[in-house]
Amino acid sequence: MSLLAILQSAETPAWILFIGRFHPVLVHLPIGFLLIAVLLEIGRYTGRISVDAVVTRFILFWSAVSATLACGAGYLLSLGGGYEERLLEAHMWKGIGVAAFAWTAWLVQFLKVRAGGKPVYLFSFGLAVLLTFAAGHDGGSLTHGNDYLTRYMPGPLRTLAGVEPVRSVTGIKPVADWRQAVVFEEMVRPVLEARCTQCHNAVKKKGNLRMDELSLLLRGGDNGPVLVPGKSAESDMIRRCLLDESDDDHMPPKGKPQLTPDQITLIAWWIDQGAPADKKVSELTVSGQIEPVLASLGQPGDPGSGISSGTESAVAALKAAPAKESDIEALRRTGVTVKPLSQSQHLLEVNAVNAARFGEKEVALLLPLAAQITWLKLGRTQITDASLGEIARLKNLTRLYLEHTGIGDLGIAAVAGLSHLEYLNLTGTKVSDSGLRAAAAMTGLRSVYTWQSAVTDSAAMEIGRQNPGLQIVNGLSQAEAVPLKAPHP
Amino acid sequence: MENLLRELEHLSLQRKTRRHFLQSAGLGLGIMGLGSLAGCSSTGSGAAETAGHSGLPHFAPKARRVIYIHMAGAPSQLELFDYKPELARYHGRDCPAEFLEGKKFAFIQGVPKMLGPQGKFDRYGQSGAWLSDYLPHLQTVADEITFLKAMHTDEFNHAPAQLLLHTGSPRLGRPSLGAWAMYGLGSENRNLPGFIVLASGGRQPDAGKSVYGSGFLPSVYQGVQCRTGGDPVLYISDPHGMNRNARQQTIEAISEINQQIYDDVRDPEILTRISQYELAFRMQMSVPEVTDISKEPQFILDMYGVKPGEGSFGMNCLLARKLVENDVRFVQLFDWGWDGHGTSSNANIEGGLRAKCEASDRPIAALIKDLKMRGLLEETLVVFGAEFGRTPMQENRNGLVMPYMGRDHHLEAYTMWMAGGGVKRGYTHGETDELGYYGVKDRVHIHDLQATILHLMGFDHEKLTFPFQGRNFRLTDTQGKVVRQAIA
Repeated sequence: MSLLAILQSAETPAWILFIGRFHPVLVHLPIGFLLIAVLLEIGRYTGRISVDAVVTRFILFWSAVSATLACGAGYLLSLGGGYEERLLEAHMWKGIGVAAFAWTAWLVQFLKVRAGGKPVYLFSFGLAVLLTFAAGHDGGSLTHGNDYLTRYMPGPLRTLAGVEPVRSVTGIKPVADWRQAVVFEEMVRPVLEARCTQCHNAVKKKGNLRMDELSLLLRGGDNGPVLVPGKSAESDMIRRCLLDESDDDHMPPKGKPQLTPDQITLIAWWIDQGAPADKKVSELTVSGQIEPVLASLGQPGDPGSGISSGTESAVAALKAAPAKESDIEALRRTGVTVKPLSQSQHLLEVNAVNAARFGEKEVALLLPLAAQITWLKLGRTQITDASLGEIARLKNLTRLYLEHTGIGDLGIAAVAGLSHLEYLNLTGTKVSDSGLRAAAAMTGLRSVYTWQSAVTDSAAMEIGRQNPGLQIVNGLSQAEAVPLKAPHP
Repeated sequence: MENLLRELEHLSLQRKTRRHFLQSAGLGLGIMGLGSLAGCSSTGSGAAETAGHSGLPHFAPKARRVIYIHMAGAPSQLELFDYKPELARYHGRDCPAEFLEGKKFAFIQGVPKMLGPQGKFDRYGQSGAWLSDYLPHLQTVADEITFLKAMHTDEFNHAPAQLLLHTGSPRLGRPSLGAWAMYGLGSENRNLPGFIVLASGGRQPDAGKSVYGSGFLPSVYQGVQCRTGGDPVLYISDPHGMNRNARQQTIEAISEINQQIYDDVRDPEILTRISQYELAFRMQMSVPEVTDISKEPQFILDMYGVKPGEGSFGMNCLLARKLVENDVRFVQLFDWGWDGHGTSSNANIEGGLRAKCEASDRPIAALIKDLKMRGLLEETLVVFGAEFGRTPMQENRNGLVMPYMGRDHHLEAYTMWMAGGGVKRGYTHGETDELGYYGVKDRVHIHDLQATILHLMGFDHEKLTFPFQGRNFRLTDTQGKVVRQAIA
């Protein structure tokens, strides 16, 4: 079989793609070589360095060779398909241009052309360099998407570069009146745009599937149709969403943001209704199961956000610089345990379970780690209200344990500014109702424990009612305590 | 004199085992010596008892501690949790052939009869969880619990099933869940072991100490069993005539000698030995203090239904609370005697199971409430369950009618539950078919449960690995999916 026949057959052989995938490696060689040649030439012309012309010729030769190899590998890689053709073609011709003009420049030097040699040399050399930049930009757009370079470009620069202003893709806007909303345009498309079209668009076309236009979505991709109007159960796009996340066929791929169960229900319902392009909700059959999902699209926030997004602890989002090892060591000498909270953050948990004498003097050692400490366990220590003034400076604190210490209402007032605090244990302290009120005013607080403190049951009940997001545990409630005493049946 | 020499030779021959030969041969070759060094570098500093493995956990844990309650022998889910009214209608009828074809049971032979549920079921709490009258106290904390109704396993005999549950493999030699947790997180309290085992019911679990062993992990991570009556740890008190100072000097001298040997031969097990001696010395103070329940107020004792001095499951629950309160990482409770085959007056549904529930239901509910009011429940994962479940059929051992009502081992579907530590409150996950034979929705395999517990403790179960015999091992081996629906 001739090479041409192989190239024209429908299935690209694996070895072709194997060689093709060396393109990203090879392509960086002419870039580096040409740039170093430019720098040497500039240095030579300005007389800053003494380099023989042989050196630049030698570098030009290898620029041309590597550019040629990169072109070959790039062509083989493109046979795998899945790239936007116009952009791919531009990239190809620019790449070939780099190789061609590098060869020309080298040839002029090699043959030592006298008449008109210099302008030709400078022209082809300069053009090869310029084309390197242009081809490199196209290559980046092919691999990472058109807006890779400009996505995080600051505003003023955008206007200068003529790039459209930032478009938020993270949030999906609530629908004003869900009954009158056009299902595809206002409900389905935003989900596809948030979760699918990054890879299935005009440029990237993974699996030859485009999901940015309804007509193209209906056409399907390499594996046939992905959407069967009227039959969501037979539609591959729904089947793949429902597969386990670790399954190779699951979409979106593992690690990418996933569709919520409600979003899948919504798209499946739309397909079952025949995947109409312009029908409104009121023109379709709304069953009891889908109604709450549709209605939730009218609510602000992530529509149908599923199970756990609202309850995720803020600690996951906290960032801090790495702590100094000497500060940690100094703190450890007081007998406390200092541990990293997780591998991905520099946050620390500090536990004084073995340091019952931890008190005012030792608290000072926490301050150099003020940004890192997020869990602080000081139960049954000598800590006082005065020390809490300093603890208030640990701004990333999310969990604070003060159980069975001499803390009172003054101490709580001191830490009231800790905005990330979620957990506060005041069991067995002198904190009273007013202290609990101050704690309840903390914006991030989710649970506070006041058993065996001076907090009264009635105040705990009342403050609990006023703060529905806050769990106040003031010992066993009557409902919990009574059945406990019931005799065995 | 000749006798003495012969005895010496005999003794030295006895001591020279294959291991010694391999060790010295290995050192000669250099390669094996290198392997042992590579192995020890991961535990490194000798401060392993508190340090854990660097670079772990992978993300901020929701469950800082675990209390794992294992009812060894396996209680019947059909009497306690999984309400199957349809099964009552089939009570006494022959088991359908499709339940028996190609199946193996531990004891059932031929065609057994179906056995209807023996508990009176109702729904409890805001969440409306189904529970039976066998568990009148658990009813009061139903809203704290996530029930996994369609657990399934691969093993139908106690020992291999217990090993699979705790070590991820039905065969011996793998580290247990608690050992992995210790390897990853280390311990918080340097005066107490981070992994403590308390057993009740008169016997150890069938799979023996391997269910809390460290397998191929350094042995510093294995579970330490405490006794419930008398001295919690044997010989923890100083003997007569020995004071604490003298004891300290002894330990220091021994540690020094051990350190010299370690510098010579670099066997990581010597570091384990040193740290265990030192920990034991600190435990002389801390263990009696932590396990002393004489200072617990009467209403707490009443809540658990225990009396000072008794060694019971209830007392172990109370001790578990005291241990996690002192930042012990992993407390493993075993309670033996749940194997209700219907063969005797103890091992059956109508008497034995009820008695076991009466002894355990109150302390378990008390444990959850006690943890909650101390602010411990939200970061302490309580797991309840067994190695497998029981069949919807009545056991007919040797093809005979049994003297009492009982069920055989069942691996297709059974119930476990979790509470606190970042799991959902008042949630039921999974469903079984009308007769409770197969899981039909949201099945959870043992490896999925392990992946979920590790996830709650801050680990990616696919990345928590240890190199052994040429490859990386992990608790879930090649399987396991985190049950995300159960996580709050």
